[in-house]
Amino acid sequence: MAKQNLSEQLDRIVEALIARPRGTAPGREPNVGASLRPLAKIAAQLRDLPREDFKERLKLDLERRTSMASKPVSATEVRQTAVPYLCVKDAAAAIDFYKKAFGATEVMRLIGPDKKIGHAEIRIGNSAIYLSDEFPDHGALSPQTLGGSPVRISLSVDNVDAVAARAVAAGAKEIRPIEDQFYGERSGLFADSFGYMWNISTLKEEMSGAEMQKRMDALMNQGTSPTRPTVKPIPEGFHTLTQYLAVNGAATLIDFFKEAFGALEAFRVPRPGGQLIMHAQLRIGDSILELADATEEFGARAVANILHVDDVDAVYQRALKAGATSLSTPREQSYGDREAGVKDPAGNQWYLTAIRKTDHRTADTRTILPHLSLVRAAEFVEFAKRAFGAEEAFMFKGPDGKVVHARLRIGDSILALGEASDERAALPAALHMYVPNVDAVYAAAVREGVKVLRPLRDEPYGDRAASLQDAFGNFWFPATHIKDVGF
Amino acid sequence: MKDRSQDAGERRLVEAAQKDPGRFGELYENNFERVYAYIARRVGNREEAQDLTAEVFHQALANLARFEWRGLPFAAWLLRIASNAIADSWKSKAREQGNPSSDELLSHDVDMEDVEQRAKLFRLVTTLPEDQRRVVEMRFAQEKSIREIAEELGRTGGAVKQLQFRGLESLRAQLSAGPRKKAAPKLGARSANKSGGTNG
Repeated sequence: MAKQNLSEQLDRIVEALIARPRGTAPGREPNVGASLRPLAKIAAQLRDLPREDFKERLKLDLERRTSMASKPVSATEVRQTAVPYLCVKDAAAAIDFYKKAFGATEVMRLIGPDKKIGHAEIRIGNSAIYLSDEFPDHGALSPQTLGGSPVRISLSVDNVDAVAARAVAAGAKEIRPIEDQFYGERSGLFADSFGYMWNISTLKEEMSGAEMQKRMDALMNQGTSPTRPTVKPIPEGFHTLTQYLAVNGAATLIDFFKEAFGALEAFRVPRPGGQLIMHAQLRIGDSILELADATEEFGARAVANILHVDDVDAVYQRALKAGATSLSTPREQSYGDREAGVKDPAGNQWYLTAIRKTDHRTADTRTILPHLSLVRAAEFVEFAKRAFGAEEAFMFKGPDGKVVHARLRIGDSILALGEASDERAALPAALHMYVPNVDAVYAAAVREGVKVLRPLRDEPYGDRAASLQDAFGNFWFPATHIKDVGF
Repeated sequence: MKDRSQDAGERRLVEAAQKDPGRFGELYENNFERVYAYIARRVGNREEAQDLTAEVFHQALANLARFEWRGLPFAAWLLRIASNAIADSWKSKAREQGNPSSDELLSHDVDMEDVEQRAKLFRLVTTLPEDQRRVVEMRFAQEKSIREIAEELGRTGGAVKQLQFRGLESLRAQLSAGPRKKAAPKLGARSANKSGGTNG
């Protein structure tokens, strides 16, 4: 709180400083507390801070002069025949990033009256790359607008591990970790935040195309050989989406689910040396529910689910008896369902629903349906389409354009969602997501700007998995089962 | 302020650049902030400071062969070029405006300790953690408002103010840490390896 105050106070000083014409005497600022005085002095000196782009431009300018004076550069070295031309949403930031990530040098930039970069040239290693800002009126669109770029750029470097580490430190995201490849390269795939993917590689072993083909054929045969046990990428009983609860008191909550909702416990994995649960799997009706005791990394947070039951009133009563609190008493809804709401002892919300009118058994009527109350729900829908290939199964918007209730289909599962409001607090979800090819899903999600909490990797429990968080607060744990290990 | 080994190092740099102008870049890197700070102290606006700084380095590069080592630091030579360039610019402005009294300004003394301190401060800015560095650069060098910065970085105004505060606070701490530690740019020194996730 005090820090908040200080940062506000400091900004008022900075604001006054910037408003003052340059060169006027710095007179004593009113109300500057003793603790802020040294910072105010630094702020005053920073008014003369040179612009980075100026320093860089002048350096390039001087370098051009010196290189012209000292060593002539051959025309072929400067002009390569084919040059990639990247259209990006913020070309200045992209140039900045490529400098940091790949050691690019800026050759030139042309800035239009709208302050946008109409054309810029950078060099990475011995290659030129051209860039410009987006100009939708002229059909120049960035991957961020188009939803990705089909063109990847290949960087051949001397030390892929060092270059990749530098790129990641500058903000690139790892899409495929660095590995030795059968074609003699050590390489990995990285995404920048402007929608482009960079394959960074170091040549380890030179070989002919024929040799590469031979090695690839051998690999492929190995893949289909009957000696290799087949593994189901989506484990038995799982659908695409499974709500994953992180709570304080997982063991107590499991008891509650058994008592209130008739849950069956498939297994639980205790954390080493304690009562706490690292991972547990329950079955309720035809759905799986996963839960764990909260950790520092994955803190306790409430989520909401629709729970389809036959007898709302009976389950509601059982839930209250088992320790739930009531959110709403059972009542008939205008759309023909009977509904009630309870909050479990860990604070998760359960909307108990008995379906009367719709009698077809689809993903919509699976026992557990995750429900997301989100700020900017409509934006989330578009995001989920781009990142996870979600399809709209149902959409009902209010007169203000906000999503009242929507259902999205992802894989074989359905998500219900609506805009958070004063009555309905924002409750994002935490979703375990089993897919046949987690690498592709991960790449698409990262491209759409999700935060990577744990990058994609092979886990000891037999899944290739990652932890992500989107801008709407939802956690996503995409995974492909790759090896049966058993607990 | 400078010890002998630093002098010797600088002398080697100057002699190398005199033989191969391609080596001028190192002298530029070592002196840019100093020259800029000196000029910015004496002229009223950023554009003028930039024009004059560019002029100083262009002149220095063109006349490098004429520089003779007489025990004075290379920076002193650069600042003399800067001082002359500022004087010329004022004289021509005064002529244009028919106002000869601006000669007074020429005698205006610049505190060299203050210039050194500012140069150090400007160099330290480049070593700040990335998000703090961007906020400081946008706020002070690009003179953007908190709202503009917040929009550009996709953060709240409060978060930008916090970054500004933390940036200035860490500059203050490093400035008072003493002159021995030479600021070197660090590339992504902070590790982003905090792993998250659940299932195990």
